[in-house]
Amino acid sequence: MSIEAKVEQFKKTLSLFPNPQEKYQYLIEQAKLNEDFPTELRIDEFKVNGCQSQVWLVPEEREEKLHFSSDSDALIAKGLVTLIASIYSDESAQDIASSEIDLMEEFELGVILSPARRNGAFSMLKTIKEFAKKLAD
Amino acid sequence: MKQVSEIKKDFPIFQRLINGKELTYLDSGATSQKPNIVIDSMSEVYKQNNANVHRGTYVLSSETTSKYEDVRNKFKNFINANSPEEIIFTKGCTEGFNLLANSLCKDLSEGDEILLSEIEHHANIIPWQMAADKYGLIIKYINVDKNFNLDMDHLETQLTNNTKIVSLVGESNISGMLPDIKNINKLIKSKTEALFILDGAQLVPHREIDVQDLGIDFLCVSGHKMLGPTGIGVVWGKKELLEKMDPVYGGGDMIEEVYYDKATWAPIPHKFEAGTPPYVEAIGLGAAVDYLSDLTMAEVQKHSDHLRLYAKNTLENINGINIIHTDSENAGCTFAMSVDGVHATDISLMLDTYGVAVRAGHHCVQPFHRKLNIDATFRATGYIYNDEKDFDTLANAIEDSLKILR
Repeated sequence: MSIEAKVEQFKKTLSLFPNPQEKYQYLIEQAKLNEDFPTELRIDEFKVNGCQSQVWLVPEEREEKLHFSSDSDALIAKGLVTLIASIYSDESAQDIASSEIDLMEEFELGVILSPARRNGAFSMLKTIKEFAKKLAD
Repeated sequence: MKQVSEIKKDFPIFQRLINGKELTYLDSGATSQKPNIVIDSMSEVYKQNNANVHRGTYVLSSETTSKYEDVRNKFKNFINANSPEEIIFTKGCTEGFNLLANSLCKDLSEGDEILLSEIEHHANIIPWQMAADKYGLIIKYINVDKNFNLDMDHLETQLTNNTKIVSLVGESNISGMLPDIKNINKLIKSKTEALFILDGAQLVPHREIDVQDLGIDFLCVSGHKMLGPTGIGVVWGKKELLEKMDPVYGGGDMIEEVYYDKATWAPIPHKFEAGTPPYVEAIGLGAAVDYLSDLTMAEVQKHSDHLRLYAKNTLENINGINIIHTDSENAGCTFAMSVDGVHATDISLMLDTYGVAVRAGHHCVQPFHRKLNIDATFRATGYIYNDEKDFDTLANAIEDSLKILR
């Protein structure tokens, strides 16, 4: 599935939850499902700077596609990074680097996706894009 | 004090709904909300009087200047300073500490010591660290004990002939502790010649202050935490000390005579206020002082004490909650909290969905959080527009959030 199609799918899912509390609950459920992140990878090398909680993103290249594993010590941030990682996983570096879709604009996730530059979600996206760009160049 | 329900009517922000719920604002420790009188005073200046201060020979400038200088007098009365010249306007408490650190430390000698506490706000740490690096000074920290109070015995042992500056929080933005300033001042003065600076960021909005009675040398105040606008604060200092100090910022308005190769300084307070000052913000602060003075600070303090006891009892009943709060009888209405296994940002995001605004993080007191081995806490602070119901709403919202987060 393309990045755009995955974004559409998540938009549809999120629209099922009209209020912020239900949206957070959905993210918390996603976080609780994401249990396979190895604790030994919770290291500074993979830490995403600029988040209020600790967030880790581990990029890998598998058969010319990129894959992102993620974790956080906070549930809502973990749900968000899980969602973002799944959107960009199993895509090529070129597709990720050239994707112009703006998740901040697409998803209505209240204060956690405000377009402020110091926002954690912004840092998560930047980490993914920078990794893809390095490989795509 | 007048009823909280009546006070709330003076603050237009409480008409807002947040996520469809009434606003329960419990983050006044970060910034307070503003009453109409403050908002209107500022808009009035822009509409009716606006002109640069201390410059013009025309009606508008003269009106604005007199409004601006009146605030100095109001503030002098508010903290019982000796004279309005002792009131220096800054852009906030942080700038106040930077001003004092830069001006005072350059006259110290290598090896001289600055004494802070372990629970200081970064604004009362970093400026001293920067000055210490520059001038070879040593910073020492007074311990905060397991009950989140200043360790007075440790303070006593840390005071030596090398101690030149002691700078301490007046009301902690974490534990609510209220150090016994008057006695600490006596102790400092009996053992050293050190200057005593008080961080009044949280203290001045909530409690009656008499700088002469306390005997301290300097006080830093933040305007926006006491109903005033952002971008304005006050440094109060004893006149004889301020007169001896050099200015830190150079520019217009702070000079007496300027030559191509030198300049002489204006008398205090203006020598510390280079450039066009934030006079509209200062006038807003003046309106905030009027509002608090009308309530009377004695009543504001009584309200804070009453609310703090209620909040403490209510919050302590929440299953699994850890509260970083002093065990002293007197304390500020500030509660930094954590729940084992649940991240503070998750709790504060969930609370927001109930219309409850609290802050999550280290509240600019990172070293102390590190000492307690806690990444982050969420913090609720009460003020004049908060009542018991706000803390009930908070407690219920925390319990509901924990059901989802655990």
